Amino acid sequence: MEATPAVGRVVATELKPSTPHQFYFWTARESPVGIGAIVRVDAPGRVVYGVVVDAAAYSDLATPMHAVIGADGDPAAAGAEPSERAEIRLYLASVLRQTPEEPLQPVPLGTVALASDADVVLALRMDGYTVGDRATGVPVGVYAVGGHESPVYLDCDFLLGPEAAHLNISGVSGLATKTSAVEFLLSSIFQTFPAHKGSVAAVCFNVKGPDLCFLDQPGAVSEADAHLYERMGLTPRPFESVRYFAPHKPDGVNLNTLRTHEALSANTEPLVWGLREVLDFAEVVMNKDDVDAKADAFIDFLAERIVGREYHDEQLRGKPFSVQSFADLEEFFRAIFDFMEAMGRGGEVWKTHHIATIRKVRNRLSNISTRSKGLVTDDGSSNDLPWGSFTDRSVQVVDVAGLDPLAQDLVFARVVSKLREHLERRDLGVDHVVVFVDELNKYAPADGPDTYVRKMLLDLSERGRYLGLVLFSAQQFRSQVQRRVVGNAATSVYGRMDMDELATPGYATLSPATKIKLGTLPKGELMLRHPHFTQPIFVRFPKPAVMTGREGVERYPPAHELPFADAVARQLRALDRRVGAGAVQALVDGRREDDVRRALAATRRARPDDAMAYVTAALGRRVAAEVPGRRHGIPSIRPVPDDDPYGP
Amino acid sequence: MTDAARGRADDPTIQPAELIEDAALAWHAVGDAESWPGTVAFLDGTQRSEVVGYAGSAPIVVGDIGVAVRERTDRQLRTVLAEHRRVAIARADALKRAGDALEGLASIALPDGLPPHPVRDLNAASHALDRARGALEAEVGGRYRAELAGWLVVDGSLSDSPAWAADERTAGIAKSHAALPFDGEELERYLRLPYGHRSSVFAPCSRRVAPVRAWALRLWPWEGKDLFHGLIRVEVAPANGTPEMADRICRWLLAERAPVSTPDPRWDRLLYGIHSVEQYLRASR
Repeated sequence: MEATPAVGRVVATELKPSTPHQFYFWTARESPVGIGAIVRVDAPGRVVYGVVVDAAAYSDLATPMHAVIGADGDPAAAGAEPSERAEIRLYLASVLRQTPEEPLQPVPLGTVALASDADVVLALRMDGYTVGDRATGVPVGVYAVGGHESPVYLDCDFLLGPEAAHLNISGVSGLATKTSAVEFLLSSIFQTFPAHKGSVAAVCFNVKGPDLCFLDQPGAVSEADAHLYERMGLTPRPFESVRYFAPHKPDGVNLNTLRTHEALSANTEPLVWGLREVLDFAEVVMNKDDVDAKADAFIDFLAERIVGREYHDEQLRGKPFSVQSFADLEEFFRAIFDFMEAMGRGGEVWKTHHIATIRKVRNRLSNISTRSKGLVTDDGSSNDLPWGSFTDRSVQVVDVAGLDPLAQDLVFARVVSKLREHLERRDLGVDHVVVFVDELNKYAPADGPDTYVRKMLLDLSERGRYLGLVLFSAQQFRSQVQRRVVGNAATSVYGRMDMDELATPGYATLSPATKIKLGTLPKGELMLRHPHFTQPIFVRFPKPAVMTGREGVERYPPAHELPFADAVARQLRALDRRVGAGAVQALVDGRREDDVRRALAATRRARPDDAMAYVTAALGRRVAAEVPGRRHGIPSIRPVPDDDPYGP
Repeated sequence: MTDAARGRADDPTIQPAELIEDAALAWHAVGDAESWPGTVAFLDGTQRSEVVGYAGSAPIVVGDIGVAVRERTDRQLRTVLAEHRRVAIARADALKRAGDALEGLASIALPDGLPPHPVRDLNAASHALDRARGALEAEVGGRYRAELAGWLVVDGSLSDSPAWAADERTAGIAKSHAALPFDGEELERYLRLPYGHRSSVFAPCSRRVAPVRAWALRLWPWEGKDLFHGLIRVEVAPANGTPEMADRICRWLLAERAPVSTPDPRWDRLLYGIHSVEQYLRASR
């Protein structure tokens, strides 16, 4: 093993004793030791690894007054003293590991050296999962102190399950590089996830701006970052298989995303859901007061008996109902209300459901299609994530940044629930899925109502690891997130933190110096907690090799909102490059937009070889408008007397 | 049993000195403090002793003496020489009777002309330890001078070592005023020396003396405190005994007042360099 020179020596006094969990050591003033440095203590029969968590320096000055006296009250003279006072650099280190581990004893008074690569492996217990045929290490960064650069690995058994799972990252906006850290880690997972662990994919929710909009585009990698990649054995490259899903804008054809540049349209698809998709998650968009037992029962009735089925009720109308869309559902509700109005007194209940309950459910559901216009279509067509055909190392990005919060909740709940369903049935296409959610405090707040999304996140964090459903989450303030959600994240990552946040009880175990370091952490550095690491560890990570949101928007500026025909043409061109704008213009000219949207959705679903032919057929024959002829009144049976004052 | 690092015990005496500068003892303002530009080293020694047994009524004392030189370069003090010794001190008969118990220790036999008296013998052992320490200081100082060329500031009088007394780059700083060079009105004038002033240069007269030049220097204002507050006696080789050199050395020593050697109670007279050597010897014992 490569030995590193001694830089310090353990000291123990009655007031500052060595214990099995911490020890003090002093160093020369010029020593490279600092907060977060991993050190090795050598003593006969025992080696101890520790991480520096606090430091102090003091001189032999008895009181500040003596400094004043010595300088004759002149601060400028204080620096001109012929001798510098004796000064100590005293460090406090927390024990990471002792060998032998039993009997567990106080740290001996040995020499202290900076940890070498091999020492870092042992200190962080990475020897248990980074060597051998079935290694499970995933590089997360480089521990760098005093010229040493040692790769640090997470154990994917504890990152992606089944032993433990989930990762949570905290840090202030803009400086903590939360998104970059997750992008880098996903790239690292995709490159190093061991074959014996199966396949892995990721679903990322883009909740603000263009953060995750260019994962498939290469970004600049500096020389220093390239070195870090090399040190970890990784290749700096963008994600190879990425599909983007974004809802439409209210016009139903333009995509509600910043990724609308035509050059990026090949893997950017609309996310469109119909009534069926929404009804299963009606609870998401209703508050707790809405979903009482009565409303719940009526929604169940709709889901089981009405939607997607033929429903016949002679009392309502002779013709059966076939409810496929919100428009159909509205027609169904209208029939119920007409029937009950016709009943007059005694017409408050229809099939055991009170009219007030029916009206409430109808209002809430129609509210969904209004507030989520663009995501939810009236026509029943849908375009969804590739359930059942997820591929290994693929990323699905769901861009909900432009959606109403209610619709964001709906998207989030449905996607995660579908992932769970498919992983339970083992028919998703991959064995593990990482779900990345930023702004977790919004979806699983520490305070506030117990929403469907929060319950779902809690369930995911507590039970997802058994399914291979893993939550990577991020937020500015960990203290504002439901404790059980973040508490279940086996791996916690911290970028630069806000000092007020660090003053909250959740950080009480960190030393003041560690908090100061966290409060001033530069971009590209993180503090890690991982089940194998007995103490938090600081690492550097390289900038992800993908285009940042800002660069992407500059390089691929979002297209202006296109006229209806052009937007249709663009979507068709994504399916078939031969489609011309002029032909589409001629096709849709004079047609009802709803009809065009319906035909477009059908074309998207079918993905035909000849998109133009398909959409033309789907749109149907153009029906020429008829000019109604003049109507003649029906003559009255009995002639009206000319002097009849009530006559015509 | 005894102290850990005390200085040599001197009997209070008046040892009249010969004035070299001025016809009568005078005060001279030395000017503003001014650091010495070159390398400076500080030498000091410590001693401690304990009674380890008695041979009959004769005590057997084991003493630890340590001497070190710390040299200052770029304001940083670093130990360049250090020596520790353990010595057994007792009457010759007592040393003999101790046998193997004192194996490995150097021994100093006390005179046995008078019958054993524990208190008297302990005093004699203390003086013997003083001398042993002085000898070791002279030895280490000689090694420093042989190997290195910086100014050497010695804690105490130069008169213990003829070599130091003749060395033009050695200065002795005496904090103890048990032996005073004047009496009568001159003594009062000597003791009331103002801050930032030195006395006239004089030649101490002593039985032990190797010829040196000396003067008093007040490092800190004494008014409102003790007469000895901040008062040191500086000894140098005769060649450095000119008024100009005395003034220059005094300005240098005024600069050495800081950093203050607190919490040592002698901080008003203890130069930080000397204090640093004592700290080193205590810590490394």
